[in-house]
Amino acid sequence: MIGFLTPLWLIAGIAAAIPLLIHLLRRRIGTRVEFPAVRYLARAEREHSRKLKLRNLLLMLLRVFTVLVIVLAAARPVLRAAGTGHAPTALALVIDNGLSSSLVSNGQPVLGALKDRAREVVRRATAEDKVWLFTADGAIAGGSRGTILDAIDRLEPLAGAGAPARAVAAAAALVRQDARQEHEVALFTDAQATTWRSPVILGDVRLRVFVPSSPLSRNRGVTSADAVPVRWTPRGAVRARILTPDSATYRITLDGRTLARGTAGRDEEVAVRAAPAERGWTAGGVEIEPDELRGDDVRHFAVWIGAPPGIAVHAAVGEFAKSAIDALIQADRVTSGNDIAFVPVDEAVRLPALLVVPSDPVRIGAANRALERLGVPWRLGPLKRGESAVRGPGARDAQAAQRLANVSATLRYTLIRRPGESGEVLATAGGEPWIVRGAGYVLIASPLLPAATTFPIRASFVPWLGDALSHGLTGTTGSVVMATPASAVPRPAIARELEVAGGARLPLTADTLQAPDRAGAYFFYRGGTRVGALVVNAEPEESVLARLGDDALKATLGTRQVGVAHDAPSLAAMVLSSAPRRSLLIPLVVAALVLVLAESVIAGTGVRRAA
Amino acid sequence: METMRARRADMIDPATIAALGHIELVARWIVDGFLAGMHRSPRKGFSVEFAEHRPYQPGDELRYLDWKIAARSDRWVVKQYEEETNLRASIVLDVSRSMEWTGSPARLTKLAYAERLAACLALLFLRQRDAVGLIRFDDSVRTVLPPRARSAQWKRIVTALNEGGSGRASRAPEGLEAAGRQITRRGMIVLISDLLVEADSVLRVVRGLRGAGHQVTVLHIMDPAERELPFSHDAVFIDSESELEVPASVAEVRAAYRTTVGEAIDEWRSALSASGTAYELISTDSPFGVPLRRAFAARQRLP
Repeated sequence: MIGFLTPLWLIAGIAAAIPLLIHLLRRRIGTRVEFPAVRYLARAEREHSRKLKLRNLLLMLLRVFTVLVIVLAAARPVLRAAGTGHAPTALALVIDNGLSSSLVSNGQPVLGALKDRAREVVRRATAEDKVWLFTADGAIAGGSRGTILDAIDRLEPLAGAGAPARAVAAAAALVRQDARQEHEVALFTDAQATTWRSPVILGDVRLRVFVPSSPLSRNRGVTSADAVPVRWTPRGAVRARILTPDSATYRITLDGRTLARGTAGRDEEVAVRAAPAERGWTAGGVEIEPDELRGDDVRHFAVWIGAPPGIAVHAAVGEFAKSAIDALIQADRVTSGNDIAFVPVDEAVRLPALLVVPSDPVRIGAANRALERLGVPWRLGPLKRGESAVRGPGARDAQAAQRLANVSATLRYTLIRRPGESGEVLATAGGEPWIVRGAGYVLIASPLLPAATTFPIRASFVPWLGDALSHGLTGTTGSVVMATPASAVPRPAIARELEVAGGARLPLTADTLQAPDRAGAYFFYRGGTRVGALVVNAEPEESVLARLGDDALKATLGTRQVGVAHDAPSLAAMVLSSAPRRSLLIPLVVAALVLVLAESVIAGTGVRRAA
Repeated sequence: METMRARRADMIDPATIAALGHIELVARWIVDGFLAGMHRSPRKGFSVEFAEHRPYQPGDELRYLDWKIAARSDRWVVKQYEEETNLRASIVLDVSRSMEWTGSPARLTKLAYAERLAACLALLFLRQRDAVGLIRFDDSVRTVLPPRARSAQWKRIVTALNEGGSGRASRAPEGLEAAGRQITRRGMIVLISDLLVEADSVLRVVRGLRGAGHQVTVLHIMDPAERELPFSHDAVFIDSESELEVPASVAEVRAAYRTTVGEAIDEWRSALSASGTAYELISTDSPFGVPLRRAFAARQRLP
């Protein structure tokens, strides 16, 4: 089969009509010349007419063919010669080793079948091919066949979904840059529908997909497990959701001991209340009986457990604030006591304290003096009136941000940080700090009155207040960061180290950190004290094993040349199967030269003979 | 040697020397130059009846030198006799329209070349005391000058050469027949033509003349462009005589044309040779000395 590398040049083939037109129109001559020896001319044409016609026809054909051959050569034709091996190929293998590939089907993990097919492809590669191996965790391996085979042997299922779509896109981009004739990406995947939800744009690259045809079992898995609230004082609850087609037996553990057992029905949320004796940051889990996909049979959570803090509420903080504290006392989240003061700033004499600005502007001067006396690195600036939207800390603390949604401030003071001092901003109003937190204090820049802000009349105010009192002011600051395996997450400001498996602690210096690649509950440390937890669990969608059909998979993988195979022979017929392309440029150039030479010889024959 | 040849008028480019003067003057230069190149006087036909003396000219044979006069008066004179002409020649000149053509402005037309050549031949004949006549023809016989050996004949010939012509056809047979009628005893007939005529009729007359004992010489005048077809563009080629029109792509037909012209020349040569007729192909870019020498050689073969 012949193809063209620059087919647009074929349009220039129209030029082949020029010699033909000249040949047909050559008798339409306008010039008239007096020439006495016309009788010789007439005799020459009469006697040599047959020869002249033949010569003219031959010259015309030679010129037409010369133009055609030159045009063909410019279009750079290539001939695919079948039956002589395969063309040198830049081949990227992408193995989707996400959690779902650990499914055991027909007595063998799905990943095992994917690896077997990948090995077969690698063994068919020749020294002229270039092979890379991409995996769902973003790792790339290149080198000799042996190196790639070793990398395949070492491949294990991930604890999460990974990013196979990103790996395929990266593989396509890499092979496209290679100078070899053929560019091919071979994807080995279980075609899990939740993995291939979004279209992948691959460009002009040939994609071959292997999807095992092994049957899918009815999977059971824990899709969520959370401590509610994240700080137990010491009363709290564990909420979990279990994916099961019928029912499943679960067990909830806390610090390794069984906290509860039970049976969950289909789509039923499990909620277990507890008041454990443990204290401090503690790891827990919700697990079910093992099935064919082990990776989602347990889901981890972390919780802080301790005594409720004693709160001393000043009368000037307002009725709404006092009512909220009463609700928290009734819920055992806080107690009456002197651990934390909830006071207007101008009345504060000690920390820790939850500070609100006084409702009377006259007291602002006293408030600033109190802040300075307490060592709080903020002072109250000018009063601002007018409604300002309140924004939470964003992705850094999604729960807090949600609680501050739709809150506005109509009377607030500008919070000015003292030079050289630090402080965490928990919320902004009109783009300026509105709630700030530091060692032993939380400061709100508006009075907790409906005339100043809508915050105290919102339903979210009570849980926010509970968290503010228990998180930020009890000396046990910190929070839970949720992550998927090997994903990048923001580092909590308070965290300095991360305790990983085996008890080792990794120093944290950057603003982000990479979560461990195994599921579990890991703890942040600061100065030898646990200050939070990093809970790593697989994506809940990984428990949904439904596969995409071939057509849907092709539609998702955005390339013009995509084929799907379900067995080894079909895959072998598709991958590394491009016949070698041989350029016809040199033969055509030679042919053009021969044609030009022949044309010159025939055109010049008469001249030499006459000479 | 080459420089000496180039100085001689008969070896100069025809167009160059033709531009120097009228036909009479040019013819004298050419013939003088031609004779200067001869080592021996071409003159023949001196008889025994003394007529007069004339001054010696270089080339005259010393045996006709009058030694007595030379001894007495120290003057060199040769003896001339009453009857010194033994040849009657007639020049038959084609003045048809086809002769009035040149392939290049730098060359003479065939007719201009032929007229000067005819004048030179006539002068050469007269210098040898031969009687020479002139017949001009196109579609009819335009001029008939019977052969005479007197010096006034030269003036008549030159005058006749300046007359018009250029009819649409070349009636060469009629011109040759007219020449045959002018020469009552064996003589010489020189046909100067581009031979764009019907060969059969010409050959028939030539054979008749040869049968009558005449020496016939045909000087075939051709322009180089008629042999080479050097045009670079396609055109409709028109023969102004016959009004024959032939469209041709020069590049395609040139080779065949050259072959055909070569064949036509060969046909003329072989047909004329078969009847004992001298044939010379003369190109209009050849110096006049070339055809003169050939015509002179033909004259020398006669008694």
